[in-house]
Amino acid sequence: MSERTLVQVQRTIRMRHLWKKVLMTALVYGIAIAYFFPILYMFLSGFKTEQQAVMPAIFFKPTLETYRKVLSDPTMYQYLRNSLFQVLVGTGVSLLLGVPASFALVFGRLKHPESNGKFYLWFITTILLPPVAVLIPLFTWYQQLNLINTPYGLMMAYVGFHTPIVVWMVHSFFSDLPGEIFEAAEIDGCSKLQQLTRIAIPLARTGIISAGLLVAVFIWNEFFLGFNLTGNPTATLPVYMSRFREQQGMFVAQLSASSTIAVLPAIILGWMTQKALVKGLTMGAVKG
Amino acid sequence: MKTRKTEYRFLMPAIVVVAIMTQFPFLLTVIFSTLRWNLSRPDLPRTFNGFDNYLYFLKIESLQHIPEFYSILWQTVLITGVTLLLCSVVGFILALLLDHEIPGVNIARTLMLGPFFVMSTASGVIWKTTIFNTTFGWYGVIAKALGATPVDLVSYHPIGVIIVLFTWQWMPFFILVLLAGLQGIPQDLVDSMRIDGVSWLQGVFKIKLPLIMNHMRVAIMLGLVFLIKEFGLILVTTAGGPGTRSYTLPYAVYMQVFSANNVGRASALAVMTVVLTLILVNLLYRSIVKRNARYS
Repeated sequence: MSERTLVQVQRTIRMRHLWKKVLMTALVYGIAIAYFFPILYMFLSGFKTEQQAVMPAIFFKPTLETYRKVLSDPTMYQYLRNSLFQVLVGTGVSLLLGVPASFALVFGRLKHPESNGKFYLWFITTILLPPVAVLIPLFTWYQQLNLINTPYGLMMAYVGFHTPIVVWMVHSFFSDLPGEIFEAAEIDGCSKLQQLTRIAIPLARTGIISAGLLVAVFIWNEFFLGFNLTGNPTATLPVYMSRFREQQGMFVAQLSASSTIAVLPAIILGWMTQKALVKGLTMGAVKG
Repeated sequence: MKTRKTEYRFLMPAIVVVAIMTQFPFLLTVIFSTLRWNLSRPDLPRTFNGFDNYLYFLKIESLQHIPEFYSILWQTVLITGVTLLLCSVVGFILALLLDHEIPGVNIARTLMLGPFFVMSTASGVIWKTTIFNTTFGWYGVIAKALGATPVDLVSYHPIGVIIVLFTWQWMPFFILVLLAGLQGIPQDLVDSMRIDGVSWLQGVFKIKLPLIMNHMRVAIMLGLVFLIKEFGLILVTTAGGPGTRSYTLPYAVYMQVFSANNVGRASALAVMTVVLTLILVNLLYRSIVKRNARYS
């Protein structure tokens, strides 16, 4: 084969590879955009007027009018404030309870050596429990104690359901830390509390933060308990979204603007946690 | 001894709170399920009635009158099962696709992950008004442009609509987990596959899939646990309707408490929901353990 044809053959192979890559890229992007489309369209429609939003269209003259209208509605703020309370306090308390517990489960010497595993398993099985299983007693208690009209009742339920998730995720991050550090710290006279706050938490910082963000997303989106255990003054954003059509009617632009406000924080937080999400949720299970 | 005390001080608060908020109420639910207790009849005493609440749902008096419970159970299993099947099959294909080195592939991955973090009530309302609506939605507009008459999918195919929406929300999670598995396959294995002339199909099904079976297991397991308790999306799209055709067990519990005010029967249904969850998780776990044993 002469030199020239060899170069030509190489070139056609390279071209074929290039074409394959271009097609593959187009396919992947096409699917991704189609998949994301409902969210994208919701995001766009929030910048339409009601008249513009009646008929589906992607190109239009954007306006902030609808957002101004939605944000001037005081009830929206109330739902937003309630949701923020649940997310901040609920996530905070879940971490406060879950992080020390997972530390004790990973590095602690409990009475029986097998206790660590048993308690861990107990937390995991709690994740399997669907909220319907607890709704009825909680509902009757909350009505008697008038907790329906305070945010604390719902918050405690969220803590109960999300502490096990914190334990599960943080457990896998703590398990990555070498146990010798803590033995050395122990010999140096470092108390357990110091070992937790000075060594374990700083070392597993990113993992703990992403566990917190994931729990925040879960609480922000939680509907079943939020819907059934709250009254009008304490209801959260998912409840607002579920009532939207009956209370505000069929206003596509308003609906889109409100859902964008309800959905965007969770998507952004979720994107931030994606790496830790896989690791935290799968590590124990994949290896086990 | 002293250190041991601190360890329990770390552990106990979490255990106490979780027990009070989840396990203890569940025990009460089990007790409630044996009571005759109707909130709309405060004049009637709360009395123990054994398994009557369960029998009300389960007892088949004649084949013409099979209790509604069985169709609700079937719908729950159908919705969850088909969703998980779609998520794992299509999710695996999409994960393979996203496993390629493409410029900016992370953007595509991130976009596809989006729906997983959308609250179910919002995604239900958004799909119902901007996609499925026969006059204002994309489906209606496109169907008319093609000369077809759009039908109200939400009332004619409620289960299909719910399955599509559940799949849309949960497939990103499957892709995320399966992709992590695919990327954990060592590169030299992939290279030697290519050198040995393994065909694409063989490579995918005989080598890659078995290697990420554990990831698949985790995804299906978590998907099952979360899907079976899903409630908000059904409430805002079909509201269980038409009739009870898209009821699932959690939705039926909700209706028993807040429409029928029957605490006893609602509790019995809630207990059966938990039992169903445990049975399905157990079956899944066993089948997969068996499969793993065969491969290793």
